[in-house]
Amino acid sequence: MSTPRIRLPESASEGEEIEIRTLLTHPMITGVSSDDPRDMLTRFEARMNGETVFAYDFANGSAANPTFIFFVRAAAPGEFSFTWTHEDGQSVSAEESVRIS
Amino acid sequence: MTRFLTRRQFGTLVSASAATLAMPGILRAENTGRLLIIGGGFGGASAARFARINYPDVSVTLVEPQTSFVTCPYGNLILGGKRALSDITHSYDGLRARGVDVIHDRAQEIDADGHRVTLASGDVLDYDKLILSPGIGLRWNAIEGYDEAASEVFPHAWWGGDGSQISLLRAQLEALPEGGVVGLAIPDNPFRCPPGPYERISMIAHHLKQANPTAKILAFDAKEGFAKQGLFENAWAELYGDMIEWIPASGDGRIMRVDPGNKLFISEFGEEHSVDMGNVIPPQYAASIARDAGLANDSGWVPVDPRTFEAEAASDIHVIGDANIGTPMPKSGYIANSTAKTAVTAALAEMSGRPAWDDPVYFNTCYSHAGEDYGISVAATFRLSEDGIAATPDSGGVSLQGDLSEMARTRRLEARYADAWYDSITDDMFS
Amino acid sequence: MMRQKLLAAAVAITCAGWPLTALGGDADGHMLAQACAGCHGADWGGQGPISDLRGYDHEAFLRAWAEFQADERPATIMNRIARGYSEAEIAALADYFSSLE
Repeated sequence: MSTPRIRLPESASEGEEIEIRTLLTHPMITGVSSDDPRDMLTRFEARMNGETVFAYDFANGSAANPTFIFFVRAAAPGEFSFTWTHEDGQSVSAEESVRIS
Repeated sequence: MTRFLTRRQFGTLVSASAATLAMPGILRAENTGRLLIIGGGFGGASAARFARINYPDVSVTLVEPQTSFVTCPYGNLILGGKRALSDITHSYDGLRARGVDVIHDRAQEIDADGHRVTLASGDVLDYDKLILSPGIGLRWNAIEGYDEAASEVFPHAWWGGDGSQISLLRAQLEALPEGGVVGLAIPDNPFRCPPGPYERISMIAHHLKQANPTAKILAFDAKEGFAKQGLFENAWAELYGDMIEWIPASGDGRIMRVDPGNKLFISEFGEEHSVDMGNVIPPQYAASIARDAGLANDSGWVPVDPRTFEAEAASDIHVIGDANIGTPMPKSGYIANSTAKTAVTAALAEMSGRPAWDDPVYFNTCYSHAGEDYGISVAATFRLSEDGIAATPDSGGVSLQGDLSEMARTRRLEARYADAWYDSITDDMFS
Repeated sequence: MMRQKLLAAAVAITCAGWPLTALGGDADGHMLAQACAGCHGADWGGQGPISDLRGYDHEAFLRAWAEFQADERPATIMNRIARGYSEAEIAALADYFSSLE
């Protein structure tokens, strides 16, 4: 799978709502409308300090190159991890941290 | 300025008296009105000419800061070396000769309740009906670091103005080092002239193919797709090989920040792209005069009655051209020209007795030049529906697709028709 | 009836473009025709390779339009545009252009 792209601020003030953007380049081939073999992600999950803050289960209607923009309130310094899991069980992850200033 | 019926017209009317009864407006020729038009572009100039021809009793005043008009359409052909600035510069003398009072000044403030407009010079103009066709404003700093000063390094060339922006872009193109990189930043919808950026890419490539064939064009887009995409991509592959790379939002094509000092484009996900020259087409909204008058909504564009183009927020002000919300009609010169005439008819209906156009039908035609003798087009027809304006089903669409070997004649014809369109519509504005 | 309509149209033109609707016609030929000026020349007098619409024979206009709609006439763009108009609108355009000098 390709390298994930993540955008979030390096630092935030306590209690601030921060915007997180993620993008994974992936064709999301369902195999329904073409003879190409199925090639689909099944789940995206974002964790802050180990706790899931955002998750999405993909389905046949999910577009290629899934992009998420979501907001998280920064209560404490955050270690973020982002995981995309493929239907075949493989996954790709990225990690980022946000300081509290 | 007031003109009464000529004797010849009067004679015709008498001999067709049955018909005249149905045309009460003609008999109220002395009931003159003052039509004020702000903005002398595709909307405003078309409105002025149409009003003079069809409503000779109404006085028409046009306020426009530029003393001549540089069109955005065909500006890209300057980049391609196929036109000079003088070819796309138009005089207001034709409108003056028709009796339009053309004032070169900037409209500063609209007093909708008082029906008057204050100009930068301090002069105040009273009106009965106002046609506002101010065009777009550029959202400076919507792309971080892209302000007016930055546009001297990375030109936008997205309004005609005095022609300096498109000339600067052309000069940079000529000075591009061998094998250099041209970056473009293209905004999300809605924006002026949806196929414009892609014609621009084509015309830049057309120039580079001859002058600098190892150069590269990186087109960063905040969208996933664009107008006439299939036709453009075919043309690029056929004519320019791998010179052009188009990067959609899903490929991290959205440019969020520019650094003109270091000639950098910085993407949504933080990638820094070094360019030798850059054309930044920033996000847009209605020009400031419309926003300052409180006519725009939160989107920055002006909601209007789709039948009359009267602003929802003020009576007797009809907003036409790129500044309004005419969805699904594109922000094109063609639509500005057509809707200008509907707006004038609606604005003057009461005074003239000539009814407003109740069931308007429009079509849009956007031609683009993708190369030498290589024209492509998109067309659509529109009419009113219950939910406002709607595209008419089973009509419109893009040029025939196919290999150039089979399509050469079609492409050549459409390039000719594009040129004729330009001459025709600018005549319909200025002659 | 047609004769009367044509006479009315002629009056309309002399009187600064008064349309047929003012005289009880179905569709507003004068206003419908406005968009055509974008390519067919200001005042519809033709432009370069694009045809002059003034005085276009009424029957020939209707025939040409029907052929554009059916893709039975060589076209680049008129076929696409022609399909967006109703019969009443096409008739009003034919009335209008045939009445122009």
